[in-house]
Amino acid sequence: MKQSSIKTRFTYGFLRTLKRLPKTRAKSSSFSPEEISKRCRIIKLATDASMASAVGPRRAWSRALIRRVRSQRRQRQRQWLVMRRTRRGERKKGGKEVGGGGQTDSLRKLVPGGETMELCTLLGETAHYIKCLTTQVQVMRNIVDLFSN
Amino acid sequence: MLHCTDMSVLERQRARIKWQQEPFQQQRYFDGNEFSGFSGPAQAQQFQGLVNSDMGLNGLVKADLSLDNEWADFGQFSGEGSDLGPGGFGLGSGFEMNYGISRTISCPLAVAAEIAEVTAADTKQRESIFPEKVSSAVGRESFKKRKADKNQNLKALAEEESKEKRIKERNQEGESRITEQNSSNNNIKRETSADTSKDNSKVSEVQKPDYIHVRARRGQATDSHSLAERVRREKISERMKYLQDLVPGCNKITGKAGMLDEIINYVQSLQRQVEVFQACTPNFPMGVSSEITNPAYLQFNPLQLVSCSGLEIGISPPDTAIRRTSSAPIPVPEMFLDSSCFDQIQSSSAWDGNLQNLYNMEFLQGRSTSFPAQQFTGIGTKAPFGNA
Repeated sequence: MKQSSIKTRFTYGFLRTLKRLPKTRAKSSSFSPEEISKRCRIIKLATDASMASAVGPRRAWSRALIRRVRSQRRQRQRQWLVMRRTRRGERKKGGKEVGGGGQTDSLRKLVPGGETMELCTLLGETAHYIKCLTTQVQVMRNIVDLFSN
Repeated sequence: MLHCTDMSVLERQRARIKWQQEPFQQQRYFDGNEFSGFSGPAQAQQFQGLVNSDMGLNGLVKADLSLDNEWADFGQFSGEGSDLGPGGFGLGSGFEMNYGISRTISCPLAVAAEIAEVTAADTKQRESIFPEKVSSAVGRESFKKRKADKNQNLKALAEEESKEKRIKERNQEGESRITEQNSSNNNIKRETSADTSKDNSKVSEVQKPDYIHVRARRGQATDSHSLAERVRREKISERMKYLQDLVPGCNKITGKAGMLDEIINYVQSLQRQVEVFQACTPNFPMGVSSEITNPAYLQFNPLQLVSCSGLEIGISPPDTAIRRTSSAPIPVPEMFLDSSCFDQIQSSSAWDGNLQNLYNMEFLQGRSTSFPAQQFTGIGTKAPFGNA
C-alpha cells in the first residue's frame, strides 16, 4: 500500500515535470545535441526530485537526493559557487573515507548521501533505495511504453 | 581472627621460650610424642590420662634420650601428634595444636624452665633431664589443669575459626553478613576490615550485571564497547538478510563480500535502467508533444499510468504485459552482448545527430526486452547527456 502510494506520487510528480517540459521544448523546432543534453539533465533532475519528494524527507538518501537536486539547480544558475562547494565536498569525502572495504565505498558512492553514513544505516538506506528504484523503473517503463505506443 | 591475635601473641611468647629452651623442649616434645605414639589418634582426655601415666614412662623416655638420632624424628612425631587434638581440625589447626601442646608444656614450666634451661643449655641432655624432671614433676598438676584449659581454648579457637570459614563462605555466596557480624561479636576489628574489603569486591561484582542490558553469552566479552560492537554486527547481519531477500539472485551467495557485490551490481543496474528511461523520455515529446501539451490528455493520463503500474498484469494490453514480464527479471549482460545489442549501440551513436532514429521502435524494443549494462554505459559515454 505504501509502496503503491510512493508509486502514484512519483508518477504524478514526474508527469507534472514532463508536462512542464514540452512547453519549453515546443518553442524550438530544431534540436541541437546541446539542447538534448540539457533536456536530459533536466529530466534526470526531474526524476530525482519527483522520486525524492515522493519518498519524503524521512529517508536519508531522499534527503541527499533533494540536496543534490537543489545544488544542481543552483549549478545552472551560479556555476562558480557550486564548483567551490563540490571541491569542498570532495575534500570532506577524502577526509572521512578512511576505513571500510572497497565494496562498502562503492556502495556509498551509489546510494545518495551514503558517504557520511555508517555501515548499519547505509544498509538500511540501500534496502529502501532499491525498493524505490524498482518502483521508479516500473513506472518509467510504463510511461515509455505508453508513449512509444 | 581473634585467635590470630592470641596466637600471634602466644606464638611470640612460645617462640621466644622455645628458642630459649630448645633442647629442653625437644625432650618434652619427645615425651608428648611418645604418648601420642602409644595412644594413636587419642583425644584430649586420653592424652591427659597418658600424661598422668607419663610418670612411669618418663624413665623409659629418659633412657632413650641419649639417642640423638631420634631428635630428627620429632617433626614426624609432632606431625602425628596433631591427631591428638580435638577432632575436626585440619592440617593447619593440627599444627596449631602442636603449638598448643608445646605451649602447654612450655608455659607452665616457664619460670622453672628458664632456670633449668640455662643449665640444660650448658650441660647436655642427660644432665638437663634431672632438673627438668624435677620441674616437670613440680608443675605437672598445674600443667594438667592448664592443659585442659588450653584444650578448651583451642577448641574455642577452632570453633571461631570454623565460624569464620562459614562466614567467609556465606559472604562468597552473597548472603547477608550483617546478621553474621551481629552474631559473631567476638570477631571484632580485623574481620570488619576484611569484610569491608570483601564488601567492596562483592559490591562491584553484584553491581556489574545491572548495567548490562545486552546479555553476553559464555566466553564473550562483557566490555561495553564489545557489547555495542556485537549489537551493531547483529544489526548489520539482520539488514544484510533483508537485502538478501530484496535483491534477486542473492540467496545463493554466502558471505558478506559476495552479497555486497551483488547488491552493488543490482543498484547499478537499476540506476542504469533509470538513466535509460530518462534518456528515452526526451524523445517521445517530439512525437507526442501535441498530446502532452494537451492538458486533457495529462489529466486523463496519470490515472491510466498508475493503473497500469499498480496492477502488474490484467488491464494493460497483452503486448505491454508481455514486454513487462520479459523485462521483469534482472538483466544479464552476457546474454545480450550479441548482434542486436550492437545494433542498438549503433542506433545510440546515431542518436546525437538524428532524433528520428532515437525514437526508433527498434531501440525501444531492445531496451524494453533487456537492460544490458554495457550497452547503457556505452550510451552514457557516447550521448552527451549522460552524466550530470
